Amino acid sequence: MYGGDEVSAIVIDLGSHTCKAGYAGEDAPKAVFPSVVGAIDQMEVDDPEKTENNSGSAVDSKGSVRTLDSDKSKGKRKLYVGSHALGFRRDHMEVLSPIKDGVVVDWDMVDSIWDHAFRECLLIDPKEHPMLLAEPSSNTQQQRERTAELMFEKYKVPALFLAKNAVLTSFASGRATSLVVDSGGGSTTVAPVHDGYVLQKAVASSPIGGEFLSDCLMKSLESKGMTIKPRYSFKRKEIRPGDFQTVDIDFPNTTESYRLYSQRVIASDIKECVCRAPDTPYDETAYSNIPMTPYELPDGQTIEIGADRFKIPDVLFNPSLVQTIPGMENYAEMASSARGLPQMVIESINKCDVDIRRELFSSILLAGGTASMQQLKERLEKDLLEESPQAARVKVLASGNATERRFRYKLLDPYVHLTNSLRPVSDTDADDPALTQNCTLSFLGVGL
Amino acid sequence: MEAAVVDAGSKLLKAGPAIPDQAPSMIIPTQMKRMLEDGSVADSAVSEDIAVEPVVRGFVRDWDAMEDLLNHVLYTGLGWEIGNEGQILFTDPLATPKSVREQLVQLMFETFNISGFYASEQAVLSLYAVGRISGCTVDIGHGKIDIAPVIEGAVQHIASRRFEVGGIDLTKLLAQELGKSNPLVNISMSDVEKIKEQYSCCAEDELAYDKTKNSCQLEKHTLPMGSCETKKTASLLLTCVITIGREKYNIGEALFQPSLLGLEAHGIVEQLVRSISTVSSDNHRQLLENTVLCGGTVSMPGFEERFQKEASLSSSAIRPALVKPPEYMPENLTMYSAWVGGAILAKVVFPQNQHVTKADYDETGPSIVHRKCF
Repeated sequence: MYGGDEVSAIVIDLGSHTCKAGYAGEDAPKAVFPSVVGAIDQMEVDDPEKTENNSGSAVDSKGSVRTLDSDKSKGKRKLYVGSHALGFRRDHMEVLSPIKDGVVVDWDMVDSIWDHAFRECLLIDPKEHPMLLAEPSSNTQQQRERTAELMFEKYKVPALFLAKNAVLTSFASGRATSLVVDSGGGSTTVAPVHDGYVLQKAVASSPIGGEFLSDCLMKSLESKGMTIKPRYSFKRKEIRPGDFQTVDIDFPNTTESYRLYSQRVIASDIKECVCRAPDTPYDETAYSNIPMTPYELPDGQTIEIGADRFKIPDVLFNPSLVQTIPGMENYAEMASSARGLPQMVIESINKCDVDIRRELFSSILLAGGTASMQQLKERLEKDLLEESPQAARVKVLASGNATERRFRYKLLDPYVHLTNSLRPVSDTDADDPALTQNCTLSFLGVGL
Repeated sequence: MEAAVVDAGSKLLKAGPAIPDQAPSMIIPTQMKRMLEDGSVADSAVSEDIAVEPVVRGFVRDWDAMEDLLNHVLYTGLGWEIGNEGQILFTDPLATPKSVREQLVQLMFETFNISGFYASEQAVLSLYAVGRISGCTVDIGHGKIDIAPVIEGAVQHIASRRFEVGGIDLTKLLAQELGKSNPLVNISMSDVEKIKEQYSCCAEDELAYDKTKNSCQLEKHTLPMGSCETKKTASLLLTCVITIGREKYNIGEALFQPSLLGLEAHGIVEQLVRSISTVSSDNHRQLLENTVLCGGTVSMPGFEERFQKEASLSSSAIRPALVKPPEYMPENLTMYSAWVGGAILAKVVFPQNQHVTKADYDETGPSIVHRKCF
């Protein structure tokens, strides 16, 4: 069916924080946008909302109206996807995530996210392109079936392949065996890959990810009296030439989730600019006299960040630090059960076969947004050297290019040929339960 | 023979031989009228119905019409001879799907039998026209607005934004407003377009715009003979005069406050700032200091000043600064900066044989364009 050498397959990676989509064979995704959606429940708002939505051609704030069969009382819900649509404040718009703890709970939202990626970001027709979807290393059968169902029935894709995140990362760096440390927005997962197969029993994950660190930073700044004003809540006016004033605007109908979302965006930016992984475990006294780094907030206010620069990233290595951050007490319990990054790596390797441990130690790959933090690689290497067995040679690899580390799977030419050779499962096949079982088996299977 | 550079926009097609410091030799509208078989132009009363637009919102949609248009441009306009076709450089808008590019290459090699082809993104070319390789382009065209940060000649797709709003929506807005203030007169779209180009302007800032609500200069515009009808009488008047007041400020304001167009979005400066914030902060300085405005709509009086003013309101870390085009470039560079950039690029690419040749195309097929042209 696809005889040409170049199959323009589409690769989509729906993570807990951002969704990345692009063409296979390219070195960066074309579309990167948050994987949360803004939702306005139509029932709450009266006619003015409806007429507002209908009047403008509104081509750059697209949404899709979904009827929730399960809950009739909710009525219709308008969804807004994409950083542009989310960046615009609307009354009563809640920010919701379709993924909880790595599992998809709301398929309507996933549907609208894919729709946004195809029709507005990539400008393609899904019917003409084979798809490669990246899935978490511990995905359930039911999730996979649901994904296949949605792809074939709604989007009518000609061919589909589901690949595990860890395997894709491993291949992107040119290795068939490695230990993938994926530290993303929502969670951190450590998964060993051997000859292209993920060793399921050794996969370890922790809920501490980039978003958690941003929250810690936000609470820490708030406790020091520095509030982050969301972008929509102020306006700058020029009173006299050269003299600017920031005026606060109040929008009473803004939901709490939207306010938090806007603040998190700014906190993430602060974290990315300013935070660095410390060379040694964080010690309150040692870092008390450290020079402060200034950062200018969007409203013109300049804040100074000192010890937090190193404290926050150290939460990855020592989750119990969370208890010392005022305002994060609710998470103390979760944090105490979570393990630090070096411990997870050692545990995961120890659960694997003795023969491959050596190879795993010498090829530890870092992937994900949080992993591109400065000095993280060096710190992890140092910690692992201390805790690993003497004979092991520890090597942590991270792609030199920060962009590559964040978006791992795009160098995926080999997979293009795979999709080629896969028997294209057609639409009618999806209805036949026996065939679905077969397809599921082939997906359950593995990269090769 | 010089290579030809073609920039097909939604409203105007700019084409000419690749001579960088001159304006393109052909600037023609892309909209065409369909002619009947016996060669007579259709009755003007129904002319609106068979207007053909090959380029919609920046992308080529009607390939047959595009073929006819290019036929005219290349053979009649640029003086190419059949059998001795030269090399051609095309410009692509942002986020062009792969399939559109492949179709263009196929059209050029198979139907026109050209000897060399190259395609490049408009954002990068507009920067070349002002002598930069990194910066941020804000292209406000007839059918779309593109905001694209470019670093060392590579468009940062992740941070760039494309909006399906453009001059055409502003024209519709103006038509609506004129309809409200001059209810007895029916004005055709092409006249509204001319009125827009002649009268529209930008208020100095938001306060000045609000003041125009209360008082502003009224201008009288005389429409050409026979071009309008009053709703009361069916007969055509010899001339009609309409008054244009605040409407002319509305057009410029709509770019800074899209709620006037009925859209839920931020103004253009805010979009630019947000787009640049997405790029990693090491490059912010480079992008902000080299912001280029291009596109027909930008030549509105007062637009650049307003843009600068709004830009100064954002925090000092993220304050865009506009770039001045070099003196040796022709006036009105904003109207066709992508074309000029294309001419500059053509001078580099074709002599160095970095373009797609007929032999390459025959060997690999249309997908060669993705590998050879960035």
